[in-house]
Amino acid sequence: MPNVTLENLTDYARHVLAQAESSTAHYPLTRKVGLPHLELTAHVSAGALADAVAHGFVTAPGNRTPAVTCRIFVAHPGIDGIAAPASWGQGPFTQHAFASLAEAGLRGNYFHDLDFWQFYDPQRRVGVQLMASADAFPPWEPGAPLRAFLHWEYAACGMRLAHAGTLGANGKGVLLAGAGGAGKSGTVAAGLLNGLDSVGDDYVLVDLANGVTARPLFSTLKQDPRGFARLGLERRLPAHGPLNWQGKHTFHIDDIAPRPVPETLDIVALVVPHIGGGGTSSIVPVSRRDAMIALAPSGIAQMPGERESGFRFFSDLTRLLPCYRLSLGTQPQEIAGTIADFLAGGAS
Amino acid sequence: MRHTDVYAISSKDIVFESFDGEAVVLDLTTGKYFGFSDSGSRLWDALSSGVPASELVGAATGIGALGAAEIDGFVSQLLEFGLLAAVADAVARPVPSELLAQLAAASEPLKVDIHDDLADLIVVDPIHEVEEPLGWPAVKQAT
Repeated sequence: MPNVTLENLTDYARHVLAQAESSTAHYPLTRKVGLPHLELTAHVSAGALADAVAHGFVTAPGNRTPAVTCRIFVAHPGIDGIAAPASWGQGPFTQHAFASLAEAGLRGNYFHDLDFWQFYDPQRRVGVQLMASADAFPPWEPGAPLRAFLHWEYAACGMRLAHAGTLGANGKGVLLAGAGGAGKSGTVAAGLLNGLDSVGDDYVLVDLANGVTARPLFSTLKQDPRGFARLGLERRLPAHGPLNWQGKHTFHIDDIAPRPVPETLDIVALVVPHIGGGGTSSIVPVSRRDAMIALAPSGIAQMPGERESGFRFFSDLTRLLPCYRLSLGTQPQEIAGTIADFLAGGAS
Repeated sequence: MRHTDVYAISSKDIVFESFDGEAVVLDLTTGKYFGFSDSGSRLWDALSSGVPASELVGAATGIGALGAAEIDGFVSQLLEFGLLAAVADAVARPVPSELLAQLAAASEPLKVDIHDDLADLIVVDPIHEVEEPLGWPAVKQAT
């Protein structure tokens, strides 16, 4: 296979999709997952990715027929009929150049270091993740399996994966926005351990069709060792496994949630957490401009393709919500109490 | 003041939105975000829609009239950041009266802040929380 360039990228995408579909009979496992408005079927090999598909999602209630189904093939040369992935040819390489795929009605993503390709046809709802071998995937994939495909599928339906945490009570909730290190995950864990609900600490599905609604997708939560200890999770989760690629503990939302993960949260505020340094937490208004700058960049950076539509979506979201800055105190219970009080009385 | 003082958004990769009168601009190619003060937002709106910079000299704001040097410095920043480009032989738009009213209510000096913490990330589209010492993200060159 010749190297891939912008000139032959669309042809290569179509070739990879056709090759993956024609080998349907040869994938060892088929996993089905019920997600909001979507039934995902993944054709995979046994291993970490199959396990992630089986355990890494918060499954939507099965009492309603999903509106649509999509099929994702996790392909590699160990499966009959699948050729090794091609490499990118002409540098420099940027994902922004993948806009040419969109003109052909396709979506794509490429991780250079591993010749790791993801292509999706949103019209047919068929995708392929082509890897050099069964375990040649980026280290973040198991924490949010098939994230790019979900992003493309939901974006095509007018929704969006937001890089945000959530906390809520009685069906109402807040979106916690900010780049990595802003305190989102610690705040979510603190809230869950003290009686609040959440639909995710990293990526959540946001819909603007009727106000702002957040739904859960991924079940994995993360905490660095310091936060893990501060939250008392070493005692609560003694069987925790090895640290992940970021040096963080990973666990599932059900491990610490006070009740089953809600199907939805009606989002009533956009909250920008930051490590306050003071003893107590406080929530004060912040400009929509600042909230947008906290919410949008990481969300857009992490969602391959459709940057402009993402910018517009997050702009609309920001305009729909009152925006606040949360200065985080040091005690998890106090942080959770501040947010609970805000939801009960202060959120408008 | 420059010889040419009519400008336009430099490319389709420069997108912007306004929040309560405050502009946020994103350069899709670099991932850099730009936030403006209230008066800066008003000037961005005006300049990006073809109002000549020279027409804005002397406009009243809540903290005094805008001077030529002040506007020139602001325009220089926008050109340097690649947000605006000079347009030769452009049809100049008049200053909208509502813009003058909004400028008069502005209480902050002309300012544009650049937010590029994630610029490297948006260029190569990796996941978040990747640390530079790990040698990544990096724009790859063909070998």
